[in-house]
Amino acid sequence: MSTTEHHHPEVHAAPRPPATGLRRLLAPGFLRAIWMMALFFGIGLALVLGIRAIAGWHPLWHWPPVLAVAFLTTMPLGFLAGIGAFDYWTHYALGRPTRPEDHSGHGARSWRDYFRVNTDHKVIGVQYLVTTVFFFVAGGLLAMFVRAELARPGTQFFDPQTYNGLFSVHASLMIFLFIIPAFAGLANYVVPLMLGAPDMAFPRLNALSYWLLPIAGIMMLSSFLIPGGAFAAGWTGYAPLSVVGSDGNIFFQMAVQWAGASSIMTALNFLVTIITMRAPGMTFWRMPLLVWANFTTSLLVVIATPFIAASQFFALFDRVLGTDFFRPESGGYVLGYQHIFWFYSHPAVYIMMLPGFGIVSEVISVMSRKPIFGYRLMALSLMAILFLGFSVWAHHMFVSGMAPWLRVPMMITTLLIAVPTGIKVFSWLATIWEGKLNFSTPMLWALGFLSMFVIGGLSGIYLGAVPIDIHTSDTYFVVAHIHYVLFGGSLFTIFAGIYYWFPKMTGRMYDERLGKLHFWLTFVGFNATFFPMHLIGVQGMPRRVVDYAPEFANWNFFISVASFGLGASTIVFLYNMINSWARGPRATGNPWRALTLEWQVSSPPPTFNFDEIPQVVGNPYEYGVPGARHAVLGEERVEELERVR
Amino acid sequence: MLVSIAVVVGAVTTAIAYFVPWLPEQASEQREGIDAVFWITTAICVSIFALVSAVILYSVFKFRAKPDDDTDGPPIHGHTGLEIAWTAIPAILVIIIGVASAIVLARNDRGGPDALRIQVTAQQFAWNFRYPNNVTSGTLRLPVHRDVVLQLRALDVLHSFFVPQFGQKQDAVPGELTKLAITPTKVGKYPIECTELCGLGHAVMRSQAVVMPAAEYDAWIRQEGKRIKGPPGQAGAAVFENNGCGGCHVFSPANSQGQVGPSLNELEQQARRAGKPLEDFVRESIVEPEAYLEPDYPNVMPKTFAQLPAEQLDALVQYLVGDEESGG
Repeated sequence: MSTTEHHHPEVHAAPRPPATGLRRLLAPGFLRAIWMMALFFGIGLALVLGIRAIAGWHPLWHWPPVLAVAFLTTMPLGFLAGIGAFDYWTHYALGRPTRPEDHSGHGARSWRDYFRVNTDHKVIGVQYLVTTVFFFVAGGLLAMFVRAELARPGTQFFDPQTYNGLFSVHASLMIFLFIIPAFAGLANYVVPLMLGAPDMAFPRLNALSYWLLPIAGIMMLSSFLIPGGAFAAGWTGYAPLSVVGSDGNIFFQMAVQWAGASSIMTALNFLVTIITMRAPGMTFWRMPLLVWANFTTSLLVVIATPFIAASQFFALFDRVLGTDFFRPESGGYVLGYQHIFWFYSHPAVYIMMLPGFGIVSEVISVMSRKPIFGYRLMALSLMAILFLGFSVWAHHMFVSGMAPWLRVPMMITTLLIAVPTGIKVFSWLATIWEGKLNFSTPMLWALGFLSMFVIGGLSGIYLGAVPIDIHTSDTYFVVAHIHYVLFGGSLFTIFAGIYYWFPKMTGRMYDERLGKLHFWLTFVGFNATFFPMHLIGVQGMPRRVVDYAPEFANWNFFISVASFGLGASTIVFLYNMINSWARGPRATGNPWRALTLEWQVSSPPPTFNFDEIPQVVGNPYEYGVPGARHAVLGEERVEELERVR
Repeated sequence: MLVSIAVVVGAVTTAIAYFVPWLPEQASEQREGIDAVFWITTAICVSIFALVSAVILYSVFKFRAKPDDDTDGPPIHGHTGLEIAWTAIPAILVIIIGVASAIVLARNDRGGPDALRIQVTAQQFAWNFRYPNNVTSGTLRLPVHRDVVLQLRALDVLHSFFVPQFGQKQDAVPGELTKLAITPTKVGKYPIECTELCGLGHAVMRSQAVVMPAAEYDAWIRQEGKRIKGPPGQAGAAVFENNGCGGCHVFSPANSQGQVGPSLNELEQQARRAGKPLEDFVRESIVEPEAYLEPDYPNVMPKTFAQLPAEQLDALVQYLVGDEESGG
């Protein structure tokens, strides 16, 4: 392959000499981003005010278009241009000479390289993870505020607008800025390594995808600052409330566009990478399940995400342009919003879960020292979830007033998703059966996931059954369910993945005792916080309320106290991560004795991953099979190729 | 050992499931069906959870690797029989749940041919109920053991009508008419909640459903029907009472003590401050409360009263204005 001869970082990857004097203003970076943001903001503002002046619309300064265009579209574009996300393409478009093998923006030599537009998938993976953990902490703090307010009935600390903003921004950050991109970050780091590829298929697009994220996150958080307050229609942003509510809704509607664009570009990148950049011998049936999981997830993202983008654009247009998509008084179709929104947002549940299935498959197989039970069925069940996942969206709408006949078919498809999901759960159980279980921190998270996700899945069956759903929808039962799925499910697998690949990413080992402490504190705190919500939910406590009936007071107080403990457990995690990254003992290349390719190189891996593209010769989970190999590298590879020839 | 763990886990989870009072009091026929599906589902789910937990717990104790044991487990790649079993059995179980659900749903959707039809209007942040004889009220009154169909409308954003004891829930959608069947089975008072986020007052958009013995309900609705057709003073008093005006306002003729909104004993002074003729001012303040806000009072009055039938609105205005003039 031609790639091998170019991938010697010393040749092309020498960093550019740092710019000096006024040239620093022109060099890509945060300094240039500042003035370019101002410039682009000015252009956006001039566009809005100019058009309004020419058309004679008054008042000239009207917040919705100014926010939508200048603040939330052109200014972020200025930021991206400033940090240099578009430099290469601009050069190319202007016909200036480009260097196809320019790797100066590739790889990290110092910590500063993590704050630049960097095309190395490993740097981008770490950028993703650190950014998403930041927003995880921010979203978690918002949840603490929510629980503080709910500790007692009545309103204590926040007025309703602020409170509704708190839970709306909490959910939006956790979904769009934590769970989805944290998985993308882990996969960014691991997938090319697992495939035996030097990088992703489109490294510059990959860098751009990452830099869209902080924009979306800051957008959501900063909506608290504008007059009228943050978006407060929930993360679902149902019209017409999101159309007639505060201008903060524009921040949600635009932030979803940025985060969604990031998601789509990353998914395309994964798809092309997985399809075209597998090492020789890496057939689809030899791919690790994490790769399979990200393959199906990426298909989901590419097909579904445009729908949420559309739903948010329509709601935005109703407010800013005066269109009538969801305005009932002028013929709009209110339920249309929900249909379009859930056509994305139900598959999004699998976007937030399938990568976790992949992580857990890796961890459980390695830590049990056994092959994954029923590998092919595991991969096929991912595909089954992908297809079924598109036929269930209306189970979010059983009480919405949609066409009644839709309820039973959507219930059947919803309940049927339990079948492929059950296959996965039972296969993991069969994998640990008779294994040699190693209870390292990643394994604890994986087993914790297995038990908690089963609860979340089973409460999903309750919600899938229409009569029970009619009783429990929009109550705390739903809050309990989604937290068992997204916290006990997705978040536990993200923690499993972070601990599992921490030695690979940092070259250091985390503190095992602190990792276990983190797990047990979270596990207990999580159940104490969210399990009682099932109870107050079926008892009839509505979700998204700043105040509630006195009969729910005792449980809510208990839940709030437990949630503060749960929040505090994150401190153990952060301390362990930061301290171990700086001072942990050096990790070997393969501390878990795993077979997959990312563990066959040094920790952290070399800039271009492999000195030579490895030759894949077998399945990835052949633990306990005498003499079995997944891939051969280096001299062995040459011998292997000789032998085959 | 696996069996004993499964039994212990199953017993513990079943105890949690059966001895905790999960469900609120049952007060409608529809809830009976819902509860049946709930318990079928719970039985299935508890068994599955017990099985999974037992396997995990057993494995944790039994298959733990010794610290110096670097060997691998047996290379088992799969087992076709097992895989077919755990594909087929869950499929059968969820189909059982699905069939039970579909049957209950079909029953719970039926309102019955001669159901009592009540118009429900939801608006930020109040409920209004109108009965077939045009009586309106802020609390929902229902006769026990009679099929009722609520016809829901929303005037601004989405709302959702929910009474936990009835188990039935339905969104009210602007621009559409939605329906909900309820057959109350127990006399009593039950909370009505809005369960669809509808804005700042969402949490307090509550009301009450009062289930009455059939005879008592008939007497009430006949009497109220007569009152609203009576002379303005009487009709107005009935509208005032049924729509819960006294919950927020002081008004001497009605002996009401509410402190949320301004006193209605001083309407004349307020009209003067607003710069409008008394009758116009009172009417406007009912149908469009935001038009004039009395200083120091929050803008919280629902706009639902714009939906009052014209003659009831007239009567209410007369009641408020007339007594004002004669009394003051």
